Amino acid sequence: MAVLFAVWLACLSTPLRAGDSEESGKSAEEIFATVVYPLFQERCLPCHGRNADEIEGDFDMRTRASLLQGGGSGEPSVIPGKPDQSPLYRAVMRDEDDDWPEMPPKENDRLSQKEIKAIRAWIAGGAPWPNAARIEWLQREYRGNAGEDTVVVRTSGGLSRQWTQRRYARKDVWAYQPLRRVSPPPIADHPIDAFLEARLPEGLDVAPPADRVTWIRRATFDLTGLPPTPEEVDAFVADTRPDAYVRVIRRLLASPHYGEQWGRHWLDVVRYADSAGFANDFERPNAWRYRDYVIRSFNQDKPYDQFVREQIAGDEIDPDNPEMLIAVGFLRMGPWEQTGMSVSRITRQMFLDDVTAAVGQVFLAHPLQCARCHDHKFDPVPTRDYYAIQAVFATTQFAERDVPFLPEENCGAFEWHRRYHEMRKAATEELAKSIPKEKKTPDDFGRDRIVKKWRTLWNWGDDRYRPIALSVYSGKTRYYKRVVGRLLLPKDPEAEGVLEETSILRAGDLFSPIEPVQPGVLSATGIPAEIPTTIRGRRKAFAEWLTRPDHPLTARVIVNRVWQYHFGRGIAGNPNNFGATGKKPTHPELLDWLARDFMEHGWSLKYLHELIMTSQAYRRSSTHPHPDRLAKLDPLGTSYAVFQPRRLAAEEIRDAMLAVSGELNREMGGLPARPDMNLEAALQPRMIMGTFAPSYVPDPLPAQRHRRSIYALKLRGQRDPFMTVFNQPSPDESCERRDTSNVAPQALTLMNSHESADRALAFAVRVLAETEDDEVAIRRAFRLAFSREPDQEELEAVQRRWREAVEEQRGRSLAPREYPREVVRRAVEENTGEPFTFSETLFEYRDYVPDIEPHQVDARTRAFADICLVLLNANEFVYVY
Amino acid sequence: MDRRAFLYSLQGGLGSIAFSSLLAAEETKNPAKGPHFPNAKAKHCIFLYMEGGPSHIDTFDPKPELDRLHLKEFVRKGEDQSAMSSGKRYFVKSPFRFRRVGQSGATMNVLWEELAKVADEICFYRGLQVESVNHPTANYHVNTGSKFGGDPAVGAWVNYGLGTENDDLPGFIVLPEISYPQGGPANWSNGFLPTQYQGTALRPVGSPLLDIRPPEGVTRTQQRRNLDLLKMLNERHAQRHPQHAELIGRLRNYELAFRMQMQVPQIIDLSRETQQTLDLYGIGREPTDNLGRRCLLARKLVEQGVRFVQLYAGTWDSHDYIERAHGALIRAVDRPIAGLLRDLKQRGLLEETLVVWMGEFGRSPDNGVRGGIKYGRDHNPSAMTVWLAGGGVRAGTTVGATDEIGQSAVEEVHHLRDFHVTLLRLLGLDDNKLTYYHAGRFKQLSQFGGKVIDGIIA
Repeated sequence: MAVLFAVWLACLSTPLRAGDSEESGKSAEEIFATVVYPLFQERCLPCHGRNADEIEGDFDMRTRASLLQGGGSGEPSVIPGKPDQSPLYRAVMRDEDDDWPEMPPKENDRLSQKEIKAIRAWIAGGAPWPNAARIEWLQREYRGNAGEDTVVVRTSGGLSRQWTQRRYARKDVWAYQPLRRVSPPPIADHPIDAFLEARLPEGLDVAPPADRVTWIRRATFDLTGLPPTPEEVDAFVADTRPDAYVRVIRRLLASPHYGEQWGRHWLDVVRYADSAGFANDFERPNAWRYRDYVIRSFNQDKPYDQFVREQIAGDEIDPDNPEMLIAVGFLRMGPWEQTGMSVSRITRQMFLDDVTAAVGQVFLAHPLQCARCHDHKFDPVPTRDYYAIQAVFATTQFAERDVPFLPEENCGAFEWHRRYHEMRKAATEELAKSIPKEKKTPDDFGRDRIVKKWRTLWNWGDDRYRPIALSVYSGKTRYYKRVVGRLLLPKDPEAEGVLEETSILRAGDLFSPIEPVQPGVLSATGIPAEIPTTIRGRRKAFAEWLTRPDHPLTARVIVNRVWQYHFGRGIAGNPNNFGATGKKPTHPELLDWLARDFMEHGWSLKYLHELIMTSQAYRRSSTHPHPDRLAKLDPLGTSYAVFQPRRLAAEEIRDAMLAVSGELNREMGGLPARPDMNLEAALQPRMIMGTFAPSYVPDPLPAQRHRRSIYALKLRGQRDPFMTVFNQPSPDESCERRDTSNVAPQALTLMNSHESADRALAFAVRVLAETEDDEVAIRRAFRLAFSREPDQEELEAVQRRWREAVEEQRGRSLAPREYPREVVRRAVEENTGEPFTFSETLFEYRDYVPDIEPHQVDARTRAFADICLVLLNANEFVYVY
Repeated sequence: MDRRAFLYSLQGGLGSIAFSSLLAAEETKNPAKGPHFPNAKAKHCIFLYMEGGPSHIDTFDPKPELDRLHLKEFVRKGEDQSAMSSGKRYFVKSPFRFRRVGQSGATMNVLWEELAKVADEICFYRGLQVESVNHPTANYHVNTGSKFGGDPAVGAWVNYGLGTENDDLPGFIVLPEISYPQGGPANWSNGFLPTQYQGTALRPVGSPLLDIRPPEGVTRTQQRRNLDLLKMLNERHAQRHPQHAELIGRLRNYELAFRMQMQVPQIIDLSRETQQTLDLYGIGREPTDNLGRRCLLARKLVEQGVRFVQLYAGTWDSHDYIERAHGALIRAVDRPIAGLLRDLKQRGLLEETLVVWMGEFGRSPDNGVRGGIKYGRDHNPSAMTVWLAGGGVRAGTTVGATDEIGQSAVEEVHHLRDFHVTLLRLLGLDDNKLTYYHAGRFKQLSQFGGKVIDGIIA
């Protein structure tokens, strides 16, 4: 250090060259302490010094001496006073014609111009490197000189002092600021319109209100995921009362379909599925109770703060209330499994990481997982916070608990469903009998594997009909060798097992603990919390912290999500990420005002919907009178001067088809339904650990199959291609906003699939039954599908096509469609390396009642089904404006 | 090709861009960049995925030491060892014979009769290590760089980086076994990349693409007329909503879909191939027909400009009876794979096509007593053999080595991330530049960067 100190003295306050305008007036020393040194720490040392055993290119940047010495090339990296000849400077310049590697290696990590200039100025100024105490003094002294508007955010502290004291651009830490008390500017009747108008680009006018038909279609899809009926449209158009709009909104909010639609949004965020994923993709036989809990909660307009507390800590809040034990199913939503090959401590850690990431994204809009391996690179989230939040869940344990069914839960399908379950069990036992004790042939081995695995599946499947909930409890951790069935609530959760002590893990590695942490919260919020270290009560305290009215995140996060689903984009554009890398709020005052107003109205989501939907902004047309001006003045579409149309979500497309065809079964809740799936996809052999998974077989009766899509069985390992092609997200990651891609396979699905053909035919049959002549039928079909009458040209075109189609259909002889009663599997048996075969009976198909089929109707109806198919494929059907 | 046309092709059709310009910001952050190393030779990749984890010890990396240790007790240590280490375990020698082949003297199980003849095209790599011991997580790791699924597959990244050569076909095609591998289609997911980069599985039985044909009884004329009516309705609708260009994209997709109904079956039709070609791949006879067909199809797809074709063959998960199981598998894949290399070579395609052969992990030198049946091997993430051939690969070499019992790589040891970086490098892509902004950071295939394995590259 003495040597270094001498060097420093020699270089002290070397004057800067003119021309380094940005840094002029600052000493090289100050530049080093405030910009260059922190930059080295953060951007360079991870590879060039932090780990002394693995120094990239033998180039050690921890000291001035080693820096000057350079790396493997043998050349010094910095020549004090000569930036242009210093390899370090050339590397960060990233000149492609240069021989020096571009640094940092990742293109997107490239240093900013400002940082590069600082390095230049520092080298030009002699590359001084004062000692640690002096650096700290300089940093304190010159903090105020930082060029931009920056702040230090107080946190529980990073692994380095450097990180703890680093400065953030104020705009990047907006989410931790307390909610402002703002009033809507007095420039519009509706507070939302007032806030929006205040930020409307100068010279931009807003689109006129949409017509009533467009609006009711928009509102109905928005709140229920279904199209309005022609009668609902007529009633609204004719309603001249001043509160006609709000009446529609209230009617829709009172519809049970509201909970299904908005529950679906929530399930996207929490990654709901009916199976556990990975090698076995075991079904979670009782997961549906959480799905229905969510739907119920939305329909009851459960205060959002309560909704949050129940999902995080229901079991700790009121263990005697069944609803509370179902609610914590939230904590179990991630994919998880423990096979005989897994290491139980690792799979336990996988859960802890998963639940920490989920809580971060869902409630805090923070990708906390970024702080799993290190202090967060961009946000004031120390890795300590990550593990402190993880410690909240360190006593959270899995159990499928006894939870009596509530009167409002739908257990109607149990008996019917169980019949087939028993048939499958019996068939498996039959198969078992055919296997000799001494297994010889590949068939013996292959079938034996099936018997073993399927017994496990059926055995676990029995739980489907029992009053059990996918739930948790607080207790000590018991490590399981493998989990292939129900986990019971232990008699005394605190007796056996290990009380986990959470530590910060180096690079997220379970086997490299650095230092123990206590349960805690996201410290940057500035909202303290006392989380007990006892086994019970950690989650309850955490949930209470989350839902404090002065919490800066919770209300903003949900209000922003709701806004996004109404308008197609969030006020802050990444509802799962309010950090520095997320999009900044376009209307921060509005967001704060909404969050406050929402809490003041009892965290009522229905209140919030009504507030948003009664604004003029929500009523606007999706066509702007001056598109060029709009494009110029609002290139990013953040002004709300025009309403953004949207393509229906996958589930909405299917549900709307069922609604217009008259087939939709509006029954709510209960065991997952099994709609028809593309038969080839349904019978696609699927490997699970060691053998085949049982086939997907649809429910036998049309009404059972025609439930709303939210009730369809959702297996992680076998997704319905109709849903995935229309961008239903994978349930493995939290989805903040659905994509709406536009690809050719969507056309194939909607035009060619049996599902589409079935809907079209049922649609045709319905319309023809309700009408007397061709023209009326066409008008009715248009009204059902598009909420409007055809114009004359459309009418004539359809009539022409219909006549033509009747000719095509006339005299055709059609046979009933055939359905498979069994499927034969053939595969290489892994023990013997030789093929084996196995046939699986598809019991439901024995009783399968098909939807109405072409051979059952006349040529006129079949021809009209072609028209109906076209309507269901039309853009006007799948987009709302 | 202009940008708009790109958007509306099968490969394009990028979501809500035209609709709301919401994604405009991501667009500028995430442009497809083209090759970073224009001199790279490989422009296509055929990835032969040996699902289940082939045993290096029984295919390309013999361990005579195991003959001596055969059936002696084996003790594993370490708390993070998998649960497989429980119970009594013993060493297992390879039941196979080996020989040296080609000018390069590569070592192979004698059952590789055809592959032996093209050995000098191949670079064997024995230094690779992966992390996961369970199939689905290991599959995800090899395919996407992440053990948990949900990230883009290598083929998606490559298409994102290099763009398409054929607008009417997907750039990333997967030819699975009848039964999909563990982990399912997430193994060829686009992850967070736009949907057009998703792998499209051509199914080996039934319709190659779901719903590629209309339901039975629907004639082509009937469908054409329906589409004409649809077109008329959609055009009028678009006139009423002139500000929403996405509608035109959707309209065109129907026309493209109509053409695909013709084209896809033509491409996969092998009935017009010569007998010589069929023989080269072992098509029309057992046990090579299954993979032979798909290897030939892979060559045809690459010829058509498909960037990345992945084939699955397996399962190599021989915990028991490894002699029979691995023996049968080698016989089933030997001729098809050798035929593919020869065919690519004679058509001048090998130079611009990177061929990769690998599984999700290697296998252990030891086994537990699983019901006391014939010898097999468990999973081993610390040692495996992968090989590469074609575009830019240092052919005729063996790089790296495992220890004397094949338990762990000891020379030229690299983590999977380095292998991913190397694959991209061979295809002209720089892992550090091939990034996509998602969930708060720029993501890349290697997750956090890696090094090129120099020895593999010519």
